[in-house]
Amino acid sequence: MAPSQHVQVNLSPAELSYLRSSLAQSPPIRLDHTKGPKDFRSMRAEYDVLPGANGSARIALDDGLEALVGVKAEVEKSQRSPRVDEQEHRLTVAAGDMDMQDADDDDTKAKGQNAWVEMSVEIPGFRDEDALPVFLASMLTESLLASGGLKDRLYINRRFHWKLYIDILLLSPALSYPLALLSMTTHLALLTSRLPALKSEKDEDPLFDDDWDASVPLYPKSKGKTKGTQAMDRPPVIVLAMAVDQNIIFDPCKEELAVADAVLAVACTDSTSSPSGAQVIAIRTIDPPSHLTPLGVPNAMNSATGGVVPASTADAITQRELLASSDVWTPPRGGMKRALVGQIVKAVVEKGGVAEEVIQALQSIDVG
Amino acid sequence: MPLDTSTYSLALLRLDGRRWNELRRLHAQISVQAAASGSSYLEMGNTKILCTVSGPSEARRGAGGGGAGSSEGNLEVDVSFAGFSGVERRKRRQDKRTTDLSHTLTSSLTPLLHLHLYPHSTITLTLSILSQDGSLLAACINSATLALIDAGVPMTDYLTAVTCASSPSTSDEEAGDPLLDVNSAEEQELPFLTLGTVGREGRVGVCVMESRVRGEGVEGMVAVGIEGCARVREIVDGVVRGYGKRFA
Amino acid sequence: MPRETEISVNERAFIQQALQENLRLDGRAFDAFRPLELTFGDEYGVADVQLGKTRVIARISVDVAVPPPERKFDGIFQIIAEFSPMASPAFEVGRPSDAEMVLSRILEKAIRRSNALDTESLCIIAGLKCFALRADVHIIDHDGGLVDASCIAVMAALQHFRRPDVVVEGEKATILSVREREPIPLSILHQPLCVSFSYFEDGEIFLIDANLSEEQVRNAEIIVTMNKHGEVCQIAKYGGATVDPLALLNCTNVALQKVKEMSKIIQGKLEADAKKRDAGGLMAELSAENER
Repeated sequence: MAPSQHVQVNLSPAELSYLRSSLAQSPPIRLDHTKGPKDFRSMRAEYDVLPGANGSARIALDDGLEALVGVKAEVEKSQRSPRVDEQEHRLTVAAGDMDMQDADDDDTKAKGQNAWVEMSVEIPGFRDEDALPVFLASMLTESLLASGGLKDRLYINRRFHWKLYIDILLLSPALSYPLALLSMTTHLALLTSRLPALKSEKDEDPLFDDDWDASVPLYPKSKGKTKGTQAMDRPPVIVLAMAVDQNIIFDPCKEELAVADAVLAVACTDSTSSPSGAQVIAIRTIDPPSHLTPLGVPNAMNSATGGVVPASTADAITQRELLASSDVWTPPRGGMKRALVGQIVKAVVEKGGVAEEVIQALQSIDVG
Repeated sequence: MPLDTSTYSLALLRLDGRRWNELRRLHAQISVQAAASGSSYLEMGNTKILCTVSGPSEARRGAGGGGAGSSEGNLEVDVSFAGFSGVERRKRRQDKRTTDLSHTLTSSLTPLLHLHLYPHSTITLTLSILSQDGSLLAACINSATLALIDAGVPMTDYLTAVTCASSPSTSDEEAGDPLLDVNSAEEQELPFLTLGTVGREGRVGVCVMESRVRGEGVEGMVAVGIEGCARVREIVDGVVRGYGKRFA
Repeated sequence: MPRETEISVNERAFIQQALQENLRLDGRAFDAFRPLELTFGDEYGVADVQLGKTRVIARISVDVAVPPPERKFDGIFQIIAEFSPMASPAFEVGRPSDAEMVLSRILEKAIRRSNALDTESLCIIAGLKCFALRADVHIIDHDGGLVDASCIAVMAALQHFRRPDVVVEGEKATILSVREREPIPLSILHQPLCVSFSYFEDGEIFLIDANLSEEQVRNAEIIVTMNKHGEVCQIAKYGGATVDPLALLNCTNVALQKVKEMSKIIQGKLEADAKKRDAGGLMAELSAENER
């Protein structure tokens, strides 16, 4: 087994301090100086890589981080719920029968259950029950299920439903915080997932079309002609943004994360219904690894450079407080200004913002 | 579900249209991952494996390889099946099959590596089985060989492997035709063995057979297997050389 | 973690040197088994195998259980082989070593997967009741050749075992005790036996049935499982030094001959044991008849 601890960034306090001050400049100078604050790392993406899955995608970032997602759907017997029984006389919609959806709109709505989507995240060197994979999986599931669209799509009839297994594999060690990558890979995999077309009707045991060409996409293309407006929103993506002083930097690499004041994960989807830009589904702060960086010892406190070593810990703390504004590296305490959060959200969701850009980029992979 | 393989004797074509000595499409890449010391991606038909090597790195304390054995480095192999790799989705952690695979990989690759050059250190091989369609052990061996070469771990020679099955015999006296590189349908139906050879002379490094077959059948299977291993070796060698040319 | 004491450099050199001169430490021929001792217990299904200093006891026990839903017409058959510290200080309970894993996997492949036991005959009522057969392998003393000895022990015990008879009336099954009805033997389809080949000098020399010190010196091992009909049930060469493919094929020929010899011994012992059990019974019956 690979080493199970988090991959640490081996930068000295001086280097951290230098990196932070260059990121805090305006405009910020990033580690990869060719990139602006909103630029993402370049990536290679493929989809439909697995013959045995309903949908799959693989994305590799140029720094070696690589993820593979396989989506597998299986038919499962539904637990009968009393609520469903009340609707006995209603018609149900056959999966893929988009034209009928208007009439039976109420029917498929809110029938999905969260348990129909199961997600697992595997990260080399971590066990399933470790905090990181569990946390990542719950963040991804949460944003995916936030809009009821996906789970309702899994409804077949009163007795059966699709069970969607989303297996997310990080193929490389967790270099930087892999949440954004995993979410983009999941997005691409779901976008290209297809379910076999249903041939049986109503509450019969489901029977499917053998022909894979006849299968229906899990997320129908919204650019469809007439009734396309009812089509589901595309799956969400999560973007990572970090704050350094007054600057906001998207898609930080591991070294940049090590000097972050705060890191925010914003899950968003481009809503076809809303005219402007994307919608935010969830926001979470993420504990940045910068808390764990070693602190620098200023000359004034270093006996080797003629300073005086503080006599007590209390003394040391007060001295450090005074140094907080100097260039000597002290790990940030976290927290970010409210205005900054607002700025991040705005940058993400605005028309032509980061979210739209990412979703469109992933969409174009699908088309191309 | 028993599969009908009896048609083979009529047309001498297998279920997927191959002849007896045809390999499936073997596609391999090395250096697929920037973050690992060495990595490879290998497809044998629909069996797909990604293998990464990390290390040599400091041996972990409390690991089994410590103590007297630490004058040599040790090799650790970690095999994992992706949940979506099979026909049915299955979540699996360590079970008999993965320990069997990793044991075979460890013991077959260890003698090939010059581990005495890395005392007190561990080389970790991580194999992710992304899709399984027969010949799993063979594919694992081939991808591990490639990844180790990519990582630049000194080793004596390539270890390449194929599977070979024995088709149902038409008469009682004769053994059936040997079939090279089985897929999962054939694997379920026919007795097969996995053969891994080292070097050009085709000396056998690994031979695992798990199903019952007439003694006479083994000979044909081994003969065809050795030829198949040589062909895989050429392909693998081509991949490595092709990669080397990029730097020329 | 306790570890096997490593063999000393001198001892290693000595064994290798001796092998160069065509000598084994215990004076056996290269392709000879150690003397095989096989005794059966008072109960049915207990076999005690001694192969030189290695001693293995296999015990078969039976229970009634619900068959797994995916295999309704099959009984359950399990082989459980665990190393206990009794056999060697290097063994530890609850932490399976590689050798232990190899042993249980080989037994599984050699006996269970090759269908040596007709598990369908263990079915009582399809989907509801079946016999659950369990073979426990106890390693009493470890001096190499565990796989071979365990396989002999399990096969001998299976052939020796008698399961209680059962009467089925509709959905109801009654297990008849040994006193009510003579228990019946299991239906054994064939008799696989393992032969381990140990290779030395980079695959140039091979030995059969290596003892512990030879096992520690060897470069490679091939375990071949065959039955006396010439079918190969399993071959396992997990790694180690490379061998010539012809040598590999030769193994199957040698193994066949050894398996035939061993089968004969086991058969002889089984018959002797049966006679011993039967003789008393038959005589008693006859004498009762005479008295009348």
